[in-house]
Amino acid sequence: MGGELGSRVASLLEDESWVGSIEGIDADPPRCRLRRTVFHRIVPGQHDRTVKVITDFNPHVVVHIAVWEPHARAGTATARSLTDDAATSILGAAAECSALESIIVRSGIEIYGRERGSVTRPSEQVASNPTSEYGRMVACIEQTADAIGKRIGVSVGSLRLATVLGPHVPSALGRLLRLPAVPFSLLADPPFTVIHQHDAAEAFVSAARARIDQPLNIVAPGAITALQAIRRGKRIPIPLLGPEWVAARRLSFLAGAPLPDHVQEMLHRGRLADNAKARDLIGFAPQLTTGDVIDQLYRWPSVVRTPAVRAVA
Amino acid sequence: MNGTAHRLADVITMPARNAGTQAASAATGTVRQLRNWTTNEVDDWGRDDAFVRRIWSLSHLRWSTSVGGAEHVPKRTGALIVVNARRFALAPVFAAIAIGATVNRPVRFVGRPDIAPLGPIMQRLGALLPVEAELESALRAGELIVLGASHTRTNLHSGVVDHQLVGSAVAAQVRVLPAATMSVSLQRNARVEIGGPIRLRHKRRGPLEELEIADRLRADINAVLDEMGGTMTGTPIDWLPNSWVARV
Repeated sequence: MGGELGSRVASLLEDESWVGSIEGIDADPPRCRLRRTVFHRIVPGQHDRTVKVITDFNPHVVVHIAVWEPHARAGTATARSLTDDAATSILGAAAECSALESIIVRSGIEIYGRERGSVTRPSEQVASNPTSEYGRMVACIEQTADAIGKRIGVSVGSLRLATVLGPHVPSALGRLLRLPAVPFSLLADPPFTVIHQHDAAEAFVSAARARIDQPLNIVAPGAITALQAIRRGKRIPIPLLGPEWVAARRLSFLAGAPLPDHVQEMLHRGRLADNAKARDLIGFAPQLTTGDVIDQLYRWPSVVRTPAVRAVA
Repeated sequence: MNGTAHRLADVITMPARNAGTQAASAATGTVRQLRNWTTNEVDDWGRDDAFVRRIWSLSHLRWSTSVGGAEHVPKRTGALIVVNARRFALAPVFAAIAIGATVNRPVRFVGRPDIAPLGPIMQRLGALLPVEAELESALRAGELIVLGASHTRTNLHSGVVDHQLVGSAVAAQVRVLPAATMSVSLQRNARVEIGGPIRLRHKRRGPLEELEIADRLRADINAVLDEMGGTMTGTPIDWLPNSWVARV
């Protein structure tokens, strides 16, 4: 609940008439003012505290968003460890709650993988075959949640999000695209899709309201290629053929925008997904297209200066 | 003298200066075109409409394509259009682009290799991988898709239709239409004739349905090809029995 997405979901849930009390857990405090949500600051890995807070609260619905994308807020190894710790504690504790009816977990369209010959725009029926570290992480979360759901007899729904972009949302792709010069694959330059954080948050609320019991792809309509995104942002495109990607990754890392394997895979093989089912089942209708989100990405200022409310000197 | 030289320079433009201006203009035009091309938008499947329109305009240099039977193509829902394919004629590609230009809807085709750079270029044209899940997903999304039968040496008859790919249309519950394509290597004219939707006499519950639809498709395409009378050159050569032109 401390991240941008979690804070937004909590804020939207507060406005829902069917929601009674809300409690949230995160390592960081919420990013916005929440009126009736109780927040618990617990670091992932503090298993006993997490279990106590959740079992004491005994929720009807658990929305699990604690997924660390590699190189968004933490390096790959740390992100994997934090995600595993959070999933084990929260989902494990949820299984002990007698009132529990539904679990909604955050996943990603990286779960489908981009192996050669794989479906260009997979629907939820396509079997998962992750080919990146992040894809394997979200696949692990889905497996854990499904196993718990079957064991205790509650519905489990997973939202497979495209790369989430938004103001202040830490994202490896967002950081890369905002560099002054951006590499892209000259031979492939495949299309990909993203999702705005507000649309992703709306999807979580809709999914919790509908108590979904299956995976849903949550992506913005439309697609864009890396070169088109670079041109929209008036950045310098750097065409790469293959071996130079090793150097590009190092330079990008030095420039403050590390390039994890799932983002590199996206730049080489593209990443699309079919969101028709989400529209049919939970009425998911994103406000922004992929092109709009990319345009906004370049409009967001690097530093937001908030003037003082009251002059003190 | 100096003033006269200036006046002359105003009137006469030296060839070198002309060439330089033209080269600069061409370079600027190319850069502008490249800029436009790189800011195009792609749709949910990676198809670039502006790129398709450019290829369609470019194809007019070589082909003059006409489309018949467009009234059989649904206006909003998805449909699978199966065409005969002469070897090296790129029939599914041009049939998709020609039908798209006629019905004013994006039309995709099956047969993209998943390898760069050919695969991504074909994806911009609207190509899909020859994978059942990909076709089914596109058809469910209401897309029009052209599928080529197996290649033949001539336009006289259709090749075998892949029943597994036809099965994706059965699963998506959309219309399946036969279409005959006719073109000659030495001529400009090409024709795409779309037939009515396939309806089986007996409703099948199992996989026999796609097998029977595939067979009917092949038979219907052959019937349309027969009706079109084979390839014509408009010359007395057509009067000769077993004209060689019909066999190219």
